[in-house]
Amino acid sequence: MGFTTRLFSYKDIYDTEGSQELFVQAMKENCIHHYGNCEGYREILDKFSFDPKAISSFDDVVKIPFIPTLYLKHHDLQSVPKRKQLIKATSSGTSGRMSRVSLDMKTITDGARMVINVGRYHKLWSIKPVNYIIFGYQPTKSNQTAVSKTALGFTFFAPAAGRTFALENTSSGYKLSWDRVLKAMEKASKSKLPMRTIGFPAYTYFLLRDMKAKGIKYKMPKGSMVTLGGGWKQFYTEKVEKEDFYSLVKEVLDIDEDHIVEFFGAVEHPILYTDCKCHHFHVPVYSRVVIRDPDTFLPLPDGQPGLVNLMTPMMHATPVTSIMTDDLGVLHSEECPCGAKSPWLEIIGRVGIGDIVTCAAGADEYLKGGKS
Amino acid sequence: MILYRGEVYDNSSQDELLDKLPTDLYTPISEGRKLDVSTVIDACDQLARRVMAGDFSEITDPFIEAFNISSEQFNDMARMFTREKLEYKCSIELTDDTKVIDGSFTRERYPLGVLLHIAAGNVDVLPAYSVVEGLLAGNINILKLPMGDSGLSVRLLTELIKAQPSISDFVYVFDVPSTDTENIKRLADLSDAVVVWGGDMAVRAARTMANTNTKIISWGHKLSFAYVYPDCSDEDLRLLAESICVTNQLLCSSCQGIFVATDSKEEQTSVAGRFFSCLKEANSRLGSVSYGMRAKNAITIYNERLESDDTGHEIISEDGVSVIISDDSSLELSYLYRNVWVKRLPFDKTGELKKYKDYLQTAAVLTSDKETFARTARRLGDVGVVRITSAGKMSRMNSGEAHDGMYALRAYSRIVETEILG
Repeated sequence: MGFTTRLFSYKDIYDTEGSQELFVQAMKENCIHHYGNCEGYREILDKFSFDPKAISSFDDVVKIPFIPTLYLKHHDLQSVPKRKQLIKATSSGTSGRMSRVSLDMKTITDGARMVINVGRYHKLWSIKPVNYIIFGYQPTKSNQTAVSKTALGFTFFAPAAGRTFALENTSSGYKLSWDRVLKAMEKASKSKLPMRTIGFPAYTYFLLRDMKAKGIKYKMPKGSMVTLGGGWKQFYTEKVEKEDFYSLVKEVLDIDEDHIVEFFGAVEHPILYTDCKCHHFHVPVYSRVVIRDPDTFLPLPDGQPGLVNLMTPMMHATPVTSIMTDDLGVLHSEECPCGAKSPWLEIIGRVGIGDIVTCAAGADEYLKGGKS
Repeated sequence: MILYRGEVYDNSSQDELLDKLPTDLYTPISEGRKLDVSTVIDACDQLARRVMAGDFSEITDPFIEAFNISSEQFNDMARMFTREKLEYKCSIELTDDTKVIDGSFTRERYPLGVLLHIAAGNVDVLPAYSVVEGLLAGNINILKLPMGDSGLSVRLLTELIKAQPSISDFVYVFDVPSTDTENIKRLADLSDAVVVWGGDMAVRAARTMANTNTKIISWGHKLSFAYVYPDCSDEDLRLLAESICVTNQLLCSSCQGIFVATDSKEEQTSVAGRFFSCLKEANSRLGSVSYGMRAKNAITIYNERLESDDTGHEIISEDGVSVIISDDSSLELSYLYRNVWVKRLPFDKTGELKKYKDYLQTAAVLTSDKETFARTARRLGDVGVVRITSAGKMSRMNSGEAHDGMYALRAYSRIVETEILG
């Protein structure tokens, strides 16, 4: 068993310290694999005179040249032959172009181990069937976006009694079917089985706000959940305070805060980040986050905002070992009441947005005043 | 927020007001009421003076901060709306004198009628400014607010109406989202012309939404550049760098890049190096761009470096600003926020710029020789550039000046000829 598979089988999913040595070895293994099998990746590492064989500590891992997601939108980097690229996923293309990332059998099995472990920790698994309402696209052969795939993927945490998609695939493209969603909600509220919603936070919020304005309220069966994924994307300015969102969910669907779960991930870094009961995104053992100073790219101490660099050895078919996102974030290392020991990542905005809507305490001043 | 005949309404009244609009909109026309230019000028003058006196500091201060401009520059902008400046503008753009031709008919300027303004959201005051121009030509104006409008447009237009209440049924503001094509079509159908500010997509969308008997007047995105001779002074390069830092390359008139008037890579690299020192100096003197933009620049420049083996670009960068030296001669948008491309384009190849047609706007010509300046200015004018300036004057604003080579007030007017009965 390789280091990567051992890492993805690691049981204590938030034991950063205990898994550190294994993480370093797995990163080395992954980096060497891509260096040897992807010409484009080798050229990048060579440009920085970086030798993956020399990785021996976490400090070395931090030095692996990162690839901006921007680069992946223009360059198709693959490390396994086409026939082994079993799943191809593309980013949802908020600003036009899309990254292409593929998964081979090894990645899928490692990923499945991660999903099982994360689902177990966060009690997402259930043998009781649930009614799924998905605020997203109905997946088709032509829709390769990872968002539509992961949304469908989440419907396997519990057996599906039914699946209703808000964006229905019709002959004239995707169409938002509000009425169908409301009908499905009404039906679910009368069912004995729990309901689970899955979707972009912004869409979920807009729907609930609309329902509230129209005076529509349901009492969802016990065990029902609201799950959110995909980030707020272009809706940063509409970003609502989480507390307001939770009270809206309670008011409209009668679902308690501890049954609202948010996921975070990116097609270029498909690690399942799941928020804890305090709604913090703890970094699981499969991943590490380095927050970098935009002026120097050097790692910043915890608590300071900067560019979000994500690292994982999971991806075997595409060299996304270390990627630089378009996000700005803060890594928090203070103790979390939920008990998870790993630091948690807070995304505070996107690069290139002048007015960053920030919820990080103290970050605001820092952002305005630069490093002084 | 909606502004309808001088009253401010909440967005929830929008459908109802849109239904009422066809009955109310043409009232001034059917009653034979004309908007007097002096009334509009008077209202603008009152408002401009109050703005300069700081009466609206709660909205103007954030604007000044967001665009990183000095209060002096801001006052220059506000001064454009004073009586003196507007009267001058009208004297140039409007040919209001009724002419009698051959003693047999009169030739007179009329407003187009109704203008639908679709304004871009990147400059807060632009939507209101567009409406003011429509008013100066005597039109009834419908403004579709840009996404994320801060409420400034409604605020300014309401103040204008307060100053001169007779303007009230010449101004309508709706908050119809760009995706609501049905309602935008309805508004366009009621209008004589759609005035659209924005990029190619916005202009194309306006063209598809308007009927063939509705004019499209577009103030599209433009590209501006500097044409630099190697003999230019360091002072010129310094002024150019300063204007790039002040506008962050966001305006249509902002310099996106430099064409060096040479065939020689060596001369190109030398100009690039000299300019980079000036850019770095101006950046540190004026203060760097916002954190989010610096972060974006950092990733963009890093990405350029990764791609440089394929692109052949040479990147000089420090402190979050960059100069990208490349071998092609295409005019393109820069990465903005103090990232400037430097290309070669010898004088005898300047004809290649013709292909950019309506995208061309301002060119600064940097040379120490006056004759060369004049010769280059003529050539650039021939290929389609509409403003040719010295190094630091690319984004200056002059009263009575054309927009993108056209007089807006004339574009918002038509000529009516009436026979004189004997």
